[in-house]
Amino acid sequence: MESTTAVTKLSALPESVQEKDPLICAAQQGDVQAYRTLYEQYSGRVFALCYRLTADRALAEDATQEVFIQVWQKLANYSHHSRFSTWLHSVTANITISYMRKQKGWWQRMLNIDSSGEAQQLYATHCSSEIDLEALIVQLPERARVVFVLHAIEGYRHQDIARMLGITSGTSKAQFHRARQLLTQWIGGAEHEH
Amino acid sequence: MNTEQPLDRLLKRLPRHATPARDLWPGIEHAIAANGQRVNNRARRGPRHLAMAALVMVAFLYGLTHYIDNPGPGASQTLNGDALVTVLSQQHQAQLTSLLAAVHDTPAVTSDWTQQLDELHDAAQAIKAALAKDPDNRTLLRMLQNVYQQQLTLVERVHAPQWQRI
Repeated sequence: MESTTAVTKLSALPESVQEKDPLICAAQQGDVQAYRTLYEQYSGRVFALCYRLTADRALAEDATQEVFIQVWQKLANYSHHSRFSTWLHSVTANITISYMRKQKGWWQRMLNIDSSGEAQQLYATHCSSEIDLEALIVQLPERARVVFVLHAIEGYRHQDIARMLGITSGTSKAQFHRARQLLTQWIGGAEHEH
Repeated sequence: MNTEQPLDRLLKRLPRHATPARDLWPGIEHAIAANGQRVNNRARRGPRHLAMAALVMVAFLYGLTHYIDNPGPGASQTLNGDALVTVLSQQHQAQLTSLLAAVHDTPAVTSDWTQQLDELHDAAQAIKAALAKDPDNRTLLRMLQNVYQQQLTLVERVHAPQWQRI
């Protein structure tokens, strides 16, 4: 059932698989201006993913830069067999997680089973009439948030998430359900208030 | 009442894009230009550095294997178990540092290699803890040697040029 929650599946992106995008080909040949155009096309989605994974705007900006610097270096590896956006998002997720690992306390945050007081932080962030799901997602505990973003928003399978994060598939599923429970509880509380 | 429906509705409305507060392109462009310069320099010297590092690694591991298998008549007097582990670890650390420096500017083919390196480091620490209780255990020494070799091979493989991995 959980796979039905993936609302922004990568496969839904409107992009031709068969034809080679001349912009990508030009960037692969070292055309920086072409690469800048690609950056302008895709940076919004890359930044959104980085922000949801890191839950920190400044860190997400740094991670987005890191992604586009590394993608430039890896661009020759893109073979046009899959959608560019699919490839880009896969690279983005891996680079951002790797970037987050380098931040102080990553392993402590990832390995901690729970963080106390997580539910109390909620109501300060969305007192407006519209529930801001983005604001709720970034308040999830780190491991639950990363799993939720990768599975529910980006459409990754739990096996893939497990491999990316160095956890088991069962842990990924458990964290996903935990994230859903927390979000559902917070949304319910907010709706009740309104 | 289905409490999951509001979440799914909100998920469908979640915006795909977000805008960073600052212009990120100038930093990216600068890094790309700087990297292009480094790549050009590396093309002239990089493979030679890797080859030299690999050669030193092979020589070190050959000597290590030979020593563990044939410690020699005076070896036990000059280098007992504890001291041997210390020397092994120091030499390995120097070798690993040298190898990491040699591949510093080379992009890795996987993003999680440092994690794997850390896991091997943890394994080496566990073996060293066992060796502290049984310093002359040759099996443990071989295991330590094997883990060290895996660390060096890992660093080398993830940084090898694509043509070398085929």
